[in-house]
Amino acid sequence: MQNVIEVRNLTKEYKAVKAVDDLSFEVQEGEILGLLGPNGSGKSTTMNCILSLLNFGSGSIRIFGSEMRPDAYEIKRKIGVVFQDVAVFEELTVYENIDYFCGLYIRDKAIRKQYIEEAIALVGLEEYKKFRPRQLSGGLLRRLNIACGIAHKPKLIFLDEPTVAVDPQSRNNILDGIMTLRNQGATIVYTTHYMEEVEIICDRVIILDKGKILADGTCDSLKKLARIEEKVTVETNALAKECLEEIRQLAHVDGAAYDGQSLSVAYRQGKNNLIELMEFLKKRNISYSKIYSERPTLNDVFLELTGKELRD
Amino acid sequence: MFWHNFKYTAKTLLGDKMLIFWTFAFPVILGAFFYMAFSDIEDSEKLHVIDIAVVENTGFRESEMWKESLEVLSDEASGEQVFCTKYVSEEEAKRLLSEKEIAGYFMLADGEPQVTVASDGINETVLKYVVEEIYQTEEIVRNTAERRIQQGEMPTAEFYEQLSKEVMNLVDSENGGIRDISGANLSYTMIEFYTLIAMTCLYGGILGMVAVNQNLANMSSKGKRVSVSPVGKSRMILSSVLAGYVIQMVGVALLFAFTIFVLHVDYGNHLPLIVLLALCGGLAGLSVGIAIAVLVKSGDNVKTGIVISVTMAGCFLSGMMGITMKYLVDKNIPLLNLLNPANMITDGLYALYYYDTFDRYWQNAASLLVFAFSMILFSVLGLRRQKYDSI
Repeated sequence: MQNVIEVRNLTKEYKAVKAVDDLSFEVQEGEILGLLGPNGSGKSTTMNCILSLLNFGSGSIRIFGSEMRPDAYEIKRKIGVVFQDVAVFEELTVYENIDYFCGLYIRDKAIRKQYIEEAIALVGLEEYKKFRPRQLSGGLLRRLNIACGIAHKPKLIFLDEPTVAVDPQSRNNILDGIMTLRNQGATIVYTTHYMEEVEIICDRVIILDKGKILADGTCDSLKKLARIEEKVTVETNALAKECLEEIRQLAHVDGAAYDGQSLSVAYRQGKNNLIELMEFLKKRNISYSKIYSERPTLNDVFLELTGKELRD
Repeated sequence: MFWHNFKYTAKTLLGDKMLIFWTFAFPVILGAFFYMAFSDIEDSEKLHVIDIAVVENTGFRESEMWKESLEVLSDEASGEQVFCTKYVSEEEAKRLLSEKEIAGYFMLADGEPQVTVASDGINETVLKYVVEEIYQTEEIVRNTAERRIQQGEMPTAEFYEQLSKEVMNLVDSENGGIRDISGANLSYTMIEFYTLIAMTCLYGGILGMVAVNQNLANMSSKGKRVSVSPVGKSRMILSSVLAGYVIQMVGVALLFAFTIFVLHVDYGNHLPLIVLLALCGGLAGLSVGIAIAVLVKSGDNVKTGIVISVTMAGCFLSGMMGITMKYLVDKNIPLLNLLNPANMITDGLYALYYYDTFDRYWQNAASLLVFAFSMILFSVLGLRRQKYDSI
């Protein structure tokens, strides 16, 4: 597989703040790369630098083997971008909006018409072709935003937090659409701070914070970076302080926290951790309404790497 | 790509209610308002026939020119009567003046004209002005005829024909090319319509501003999307601005149609030149909008507010709310009028009425084009930037 994007030593500063700090990575053809990080971590800035919208201090960016520049129109022809802000014209219908942006890439009207219909079908807006944006819900508007960015069938697609503030139905539709685009051969760069989405659709994840790469790999490989192997949560409001201390002394326990309603116990390793904890609670006559076990998430990895939550 | 963007830019601009209001509706509403407000004032300000007396002494009876001039100005049948003249003795004239039956009386004493009035008013001023004009013209005629006879010419019919032409040229040059507009319908309403045309032209700035904003990555999310497309920024902006200009000219055409066919405003014989000046003015207005779009880092609403404020201020200074302002600026801050596109438009339109020659008209038309291209050039320097430090 060849590299579609090659970023080398990219640095971007806003006055004294380093938004992107000596960033290097590549994206392979056909891959969905997730750029994961909290707000202000440098995801969008990195994307805007790659797209030649922003000046940057140092580094180099190559796309499809050529240097990316503002006037690199042959490269731009193969790129589709879905920005975080909805970028559509209020005065045009759904169809006209897609036609306008698609028309900047595709001259042939017949081909364009076919592409527009396919894009509308991909995002599920068939019933809304003649609607104006103000008549659409937030979720449908996001779908239109995506259709405008990908109707011209680009080989490389940038999606900047496309699911912010959308309902679950639209989110599923959007994620399904992204998978379809990948299956059609597109390479995708997906920035988000929703780790669940990354786990569902991304082949590889780069975790960013303060403009630096904290980790780079598949979801499974990243989770292995976590010190813990299992996390058990117990919903109870009857846990004494002494009991919490006893739990912390149990085998394989890495840490335990209690907020008055929920007990969270992290295990470094071990089997049957859930059963052993249930037995402990039974012996102490501690009642609970729910108990469940989870594998470590990317949020846990992020927490361990930075000491803060992804959505902070 | 050019016409694709042109078509959709025009569609988005025409679909924007705020733009439609300022471009099409506001000038028409304001035009109707001016028509209603100023036609009444105009009626009340019309010059009425002035009652005067002429002392019919020997001097007057021997002066054919004075007799004929005052007869013409007092001719009821001419349709251009200025005076209602009574030919009386000096004592009778004094009595009529003291009883306020006349505005003033005229007398020739030793060949010199004398005007006696009881107070200062419009009628009195008109009487003095007319007498002064006749006197000056008589002087010119006399001096010219004497000079030519001294040069050995014989007073034939041809001599009088040439003399008449020469005198007319001299009178025109003494008036600095200003022609007699007493027959033309330049009025309060016309002055207001001129500033209205200027305002409509300059409101095109809003269209220019929105058209440019749509293409700038640092100004709008749509601009970001356009900036990552494989179309050159200059081509996109040119086609967008052209769409804005065409819509603006439709707005100007609508204003002309409304004022001519609904309000029955008479623009005289120079309508093509007025339209040409509006085309130049529209370009100047558009260029102001482009410059504001490029140079001001704010949202659409703030920029629209700036364009409207600049336009209204320009129109105010060029005499929209009172022609006195135009003269005050001309007298005290002439540079401001030279830089004010609204003034260039109104001044060009006044020039069509005030002057026989078109020099001043073309000077204003050229100034508008220079202003427009300077603003565009200035904006291009800002637009040349391909990347941004922040967006």
